[in-house]
Amino acid sequence: MAAERGLELVRELHRAAGGHLPPFRTEEMRQALEEMRALYERNQADVSEAKSGRTDLIFLIRFRHCCLLRNQRCLLAYLYDRLLRIRALRWEYGSVLPNTIQFHMSAEEVEWFNRYKKSLATYMRSVGGEEGLDLTQDIKPPKSLYIEVRCLKDHGEFEIDDGTTILLKKNSQHFLPRWKCEQLIRQGVLEHVLS
Amino acid sequence: MYQHTLFGAYINAIILLLLQRVLLLVASDVDALCACKILQALFQCDHVQYTLVPVAGWQELETAFLEHKDQFKYFVFINCGANVDLLEILQPEEDTFFFICDSHRPINVVNVYNDTQIKLLVKQDDDLDVPAYDDIFRDEEDEEEDSEDESDGSEPSEKRRRFEEEVIERTMKRRQRREWEARRCSAMVMFDLAWIMSKDLNDMLWWAIVGLTDQWVQDKITQMKYVTDIGILQRHVSRHNHRNEDEENSLSIDCMRIAFEYDLRLALYQHWSLYESLCNTSYTSASLKLWSVQGQKRLQEFLADMGLPLKQVKQKFNSMDVSLKENLREMIEESANKFGMKDLRVQTFSIHFGFKNKFSASDIVYATTSLMENIEKEDSETTNFIKALDSLSRGNLDKLHQGLDLAKKQLRAIQQTVASCICTNLVISQGPFLYCSLMEGTPDVKLFSKPVSLCLLSKYLLKSFVCSTKNKRCKLLPLVMAAPMDVEQGTVIMVGIPPEVESSDKKNFFGRAFEKAAESTNSRTLHNHFEMSIIELKTEDRSKFLDALISLLS
Repeated sequence: MAAERGLELVRELHRAAGGHLPPFRTEEMRQALEEMRALYERNQADVSEAKSGRTDLIFLIRFRHCCLLRNQRCLLAYLYDRLLRIRALRWEYGSVLPNTIQFHMSAEEVEWFNRYKKSLATYMRSVGGEEGLDLTQDIKPPKSLYIEVRCLKDHGEFEIDDGTTILLKKNSQHFLPRWKCEQLIRQGVLEHVLS
Repeated sequence: MYQHTLFGAYINAIILLLLQRVLLLVASDVDALCACKILQALFQCDHVQYTLVPVAGWQELETAFLEHKDQFKYFVFINCGANVDLLEILQPEEDTFFFICDSHRPINVVNVYNDTQIKLLVKQDDDLDVPAYDDIFRDEEDEEEDSEDESDGSEPSEKRRRFEEEVIERTMKRRQRREWEARRCSAMVMFDLAWIMSKDLNDMLWWAIVGLTDQWVQDKITQMKYVTDIGILQRHVSRHNHRNEDEENSLSIDCMRIAFEYDLRLALYQHWSLYESLCNTSYTSASLKLWSVQGQKRLQEFLADMGLPLKQVKQKFNSMDVSLKENLREMIEESANKFGMKDLRVQTFSIHFGFKNKFSASDIVYATTSLMENIEKEDSETTNFIKALDSLSRGNLDKLHQGLDLAKKQLRAIQQTVASCICTNLVISQGPFLYCSLMEGTPDVKLFSKPVSLCLLSKYLLKSFVCSTKNKRCKLLPLVMAAPMDVEQGTVIMVGIPPEVESSDKKNFFGRAFEKAAESTNSRTLHNHFEMSIIELKTEDRSKFLDALISLLS
């Protein structure tokens, strides 16, 4: 009753460290909301009773009100933290999220993500002249324009935005512009070689 | 034809005008690795996008070419591709360019005379007997004219036939004449390139030194050429490393510096004990005949002559008494002269960075070779190639130390195998050459299924054999060595090396001999290696192949 389910949700997010997005707990959410509704209804009933004379119910009403507020706080924290993590995913993975992550998002979160993507894209287009500026590249200042990468597994042919295809065979080394390789480095196909 | 100084201009053109990418196909030997490192550094300096694909033989070369030919127009071959007609084998498009930097000789004449697609990176002042273009390619027209004239004339048919046959024979001989010239190591060619473009660094100089030392360790160049090239490199070394002499402006101890040394010829002696190094270096082991009991006694005498106590000599070199190490080189040289080893000291270079890290060029060569031919982990060849390439960078000291340990094992294995071969008389004279075959159960025989290790073993074996035999004729014979390569597939790897003669020019004719013998006996051979004198063949065909070889060479 005292917002235990809400607390469970918050604890789960707290345990999932490092920006990882656990699945959306629809069931627990529904139960917490159910709890809030039950508390609210009982409070409604008790308020009308208290108005008509029974002043000893005021403490109970106050207590239930605090529970309601606590529930609200827990649930809002849960939802907001998830949104922050989803926003960070856009900056880490790019505009297409891997399927595993998309499974963990609720429909509303997906909708929110799409709208965030759109507004980010509009902003990026507006900055930086004609072609726009891709802010998600080079989050840290790069040491060099081109990097040497080594292919860790056979990935086959890889086509980049400007049309060039690269054949990625195991143990071949390539010297490419940084922006072409970053995505593959994150996926673990290429390895940055420091010499 | 020759595009040496213009290579730099080509690369500039590639980046600025065409923004094309380049494919590097690199063979698997230390010289190629060093040349590749230098070229990579140059490309990175100029932001030329490239892809590096290691190739171990002709099949891998062709596969890599086929896979990549749609994406690349510029190909650079390092230590591969010069000795065959590349255009015929690879059938490239009209607008592809090949740049070949190969130290293998002979160079195929077609590669030399192709003006459009093939560019050879060769130093122009190397002595070259390129047969004149007209000599080779004009005979065809002449022959046609001659035969036409004669068909008009009223000469008897026999005479005409004989004349035509003569002309045909002459043309074939001329076409087969290839170029023999002194090998220039590819790493030095690349360093020259860097120097001409004013982009040379101390690192690149060190790689050039390692490349040259690799050719010397594998006995591919004459002593004269080695000394000349050392002289050339010494000038570069003093240019890059002169700041050490000046007390005020000397560099920090952590900076990399190269120093010229007139060092001992003992393999890995600074990372091993002196005793082990004396036992496992081919020069000392062969001169002292360490496979026999007498030889062991001579070694003890040698050490006693120098006044080095056995206990000191058998511990790690770095832990030897400083008083003994001080004049070690001169002491050893003096004693060595008494025992018939006149060339125990050799001109070489060493590298220092930090307090602990001092390596001589031959150390790096042995370490890198054993990393590249590492059989311990059963990784693919390309993984070993990448490890060896990494070990050449100064940041990867752990890989270098791993390589040194593997090299020690390899040298020990080679010495033990040589000792057992000589003691059990496994080296037999077949007439025109000596032959030795390793049996399957021999310890460490897996180590010798790799080409470079087998070549090293063969050279050491030949040296030791020449010192051990009393037969004057046998001392001048070349050696053919065979070792089991893959037990499941029943293949054998065979290597031919030239005779151990003082004035030899290290030219190896076994390539052509192997080809001809294989053709005449229909043996199932695979001439996959870039070095023509190394082949693989099926165990069943071995005896008939050898018979054919004997009859061919006698």
